[in-house]
Amino acid sequence: MPDELLRLDGVRKYFGVRGAPWREGKAVRAVDGVDFVVRKGETVGLVGESGSGKSTLARVATRLLDPTAGTVAIGGADVTKVRGRKLRPVRRKIQLVFQDPQASLNPRQSVGTILTTPFRAQGVRPTRAQLVDLLRQVGLSGEHLERYPHEFSGGQRQRIGIARALSVQPELLICDEPVSALDVSVQAQVLNLLADLRDELGLSYVLVAHDLAVVRQVASRVAVMYLGTIVEEGPAAEVYSAPAHPYTKALLSAVPVPEPGAERDRIVLSGDVPTPIDPPSGCPFRTRCYKAEDVCATKRPVLEPVEGSTEHRAACYFPETPTL
Amino acid sequence: MADRPVLEVHDLHVTFRTENGLVPAVDGIDFAVAPGRTLAIVGESGSGKSVSSAAVMGLLPANADVKGEVLLDGRELVGLPADELRAIRGNDIALVFQDALSALNPYYTVGWQVAEAYRLHHSVSKKEARRRAVELLDLVGIPGAARRAGNYPHEFSGGMRQRVVIAMALVNNPKVLIADEPTTALDVTVQAQIMRLLADVQAEFGTALVLISHDLGVVAETADDVLVMYAGRAAERGTVRDLFHRAAHPYSLGLLGAVPRVDVPPRPRLATIPGTPPSPGSITTGCPFQPRCAYAERVGERCVTERPELTPRPGEGDHEAACHLGRRPADA
Repeated sequence: MPDELLRLDGVRKYFGVRGAPWREGKAVRAVDGVDFVVRKGETVGLVGESGSGKSTLARVATRLLDPTAGTVAIGGADVTKVRGRKLRPVRRKIQLVFQDPQASLNPRQSVGTILTTPFRAQGVRPTRAQLVDLLRQVGLSGEHLERYPHEFSGGQRQRIGIARALSVQPELLICDEPVSALDVSVQAQVLNLLADLRDELGLSYVLVAHDLAVVRQVASRVAVMYLGTIVEEGPAAEVYSAPAHPYTKALLSAVPVPEPGAERDRIVLSGDVPTPIDPPSGCPFRTRCYKAEDVCATKRPVLEPVEGSTEHRAACYFPETPTL
Repeated sequence: MADRPVLEVHDLHVTFRTENGLVPAVDGIDFAVAPGRTLAIVGESGSGKSVSSAAVMGLLPANADVKGEVLLDGRELVGLPADELRAIRGNDIALVFQDALSALNPYYTVGWQVAEAYRLHHSVSKKEARRRAVELLDLVGIPGAARRAGNYPHEFSGGMRQRVVIAMALVNNPKVLIADEPTTALDVTVQAQIMRLLADVQAEFGTALVLISHDLGVVAETADDVLVMYAGRAAERGTVRDLFHRAAHPYSLGLLGAVPRVDVPPRPRLATIPGTPPSPGSITTGCPFQPRCAYAERVGERCVTERPELTPRPGEGDHEAACHLGRRPADA
C-alpha cells in the first residue's frame, strides 16, 4: 500500500538472548509478536504501562534496535536487514523525538550545531536561513541559534528536539513520551505544537505515552499494549468511548479526572504486571482480569474486529460489548 | 464545621543561601489541615510546594532559612532543638516520598525498616516491633506480609515498595501524613490502588493528609481543600469545588484549561499559559504571574507594582484568591 509509512509484521524483541532466540533460557520478552501499521496522516497513540514494551517497539520501528523476529517496512520497503550507512535514507523518512530533552541534547553543542548534525548526516550543508526556519516552525527564533541547551527551559528544549527531528523533513515522527517530563502548562504548548505541525507539514506521528489523556487529545488511532503485545487497537474515539478489552477498560477507569465528585465506575486491578521473562500462558492479562475463564489460559487470543466495527479490534475471548 | 486543625502553617518563608545570593523559594504561605481531611498543595516545578512540606518536616538543608510558624497540635515546630524535632518527626507527623526506591535502604529487609521506624519512638522488644511491622505491611495490602517482611526492597515492584513506604510512615499512627507526589512514579492502575489505600487509612485512623501533587485529576478525586502555589506564593485557596468550579485566579484557570482529559472527547486545542514558570526570586515586585497573565493588561500598572494578597471571594466562604482582577477571569 502506497500510503503505509510504517509496517511492522510479527515483531518480537527479546533481550538477554544473543543470536539464539530459539534457545530455552531467560529472555525478557519486551515485544512479543506485534503487527502495527501507520498510514499517512495518522497520529497513532501507543499506550501502555511501564514494561508493556511500547518504547522498545518504538526503537525497533526506527531501527535503533534489531528485532529478534519479524519485519520492519518503512515507506513500503523492507528495512529489517538494512544496516549502517544504508539506513540514512530510511531515517530521512522517520525520526524520533525523545522523552528527556535534557539527556538527548548535547550540552556542549550550540543549538545551531545540534540542528546542523542531521543535515550533515545526510551530506547536506544547511544555510542559516534553513536553521532559522526550523526554529520558527517550533516557536523559537533565530536568536536562539547561538545558545546552549542549559539556557532553555524544559519545554523549549523539547521544541529544539522536535526541530532537530524535523530538519531532514521526515514523513513520520515517533515521539517517545514527548511531554511526560514537562509541567502541565508547558505540556499543553507542546501538544498544540505537534498538532500545528501535523496540519502545516502533513506529518504523521506515533505517540508513545503512558498518559491516556494526552493520547486522547492528539491521537486519531490508538493501540494499547500489555506485556509486549497489542491487546486492543482502533479509532481513538471508539476505543476511549467503548473499550472492548478488559485491560483497556480498567486502565481508562483508573485515570483520575479533574472533576470533583465525578461518578466513576472504577475497576481497581489487583496485583502487578507479571514479569515479561515468564509471561502467563494464553492471554497475558488473564492473571489480573476480572473476566478470565479457563479458556484464557490455553491459547493467546488474537486481535479480532469488535462487534459493529471494522477498524476497532481486540484480543480477548470475552470482549466488552458497547452499551448503547 | 470541620474539627480544629491539627497542623497549622502561618506565614511560612523559606530562603536558601546560595553562591548566587539569597533565593526565596517560599514567600509567605498559610495553610491548615484538620483531622481526617485532605489538603492538596498544587503547583508546577519551582512553585515551592515540596520545599514547603520539607520545611514543615524540618528536613531542609543547613543553607535554608525558615521563618514563620508551623504548629502541630498547637506546638511550634520551627526552631525546635534537633532532638525534640526527631521525637515528633515520624511519630506525630510523617512523610511519604515520591521515590520509594530511594526512601528505602537496599541493605535491610523491609520488615526490619518498618520495625526500626517503630522502635525509634517506642521502647519495645525487637520481637514486638517486628509484630507491629508485619501488622502494618498487612494493613497496606502486601500479600503474605509475614513472609514478605523478610524480603529486600529490590524484591518488590514499584507499587509494593510505595506500600512499604506508606507502612513505614503509618507505623506510629501519625496525626498528620504528608505525601509528596506519592503516585507520580507509578503506573495509573497502581496509582488507583495507592490512592484508595490512603483514603482507607484516613477513614480508619482520622489522619490529616497533606497531598503535594501536580496532577489535577488526583487532586479532584482526593482533596477536600486545595492551595494553588505559584512562584513560592499562594495564588488561590479554597475547597476542591471552589477551585474546579469557581477558579478565581487566572493561573488556576489556565492550569485547568491546559489539562487534557480522558473522559471527554478532545478539544480542538488545549488552552495554554504562555511562557514558563519563573525561577525563584526572579520576580520581586507585583504579581509573580503577571508576565504570563492574559488579564494583566486589563488591570494595568497595579499587577506590576503591587503584590496581590489572598483576598476572600465575596459570598464564597473561605475561597480566596491573590489577584487584582477582583472578579472571576471567566466573567471578565
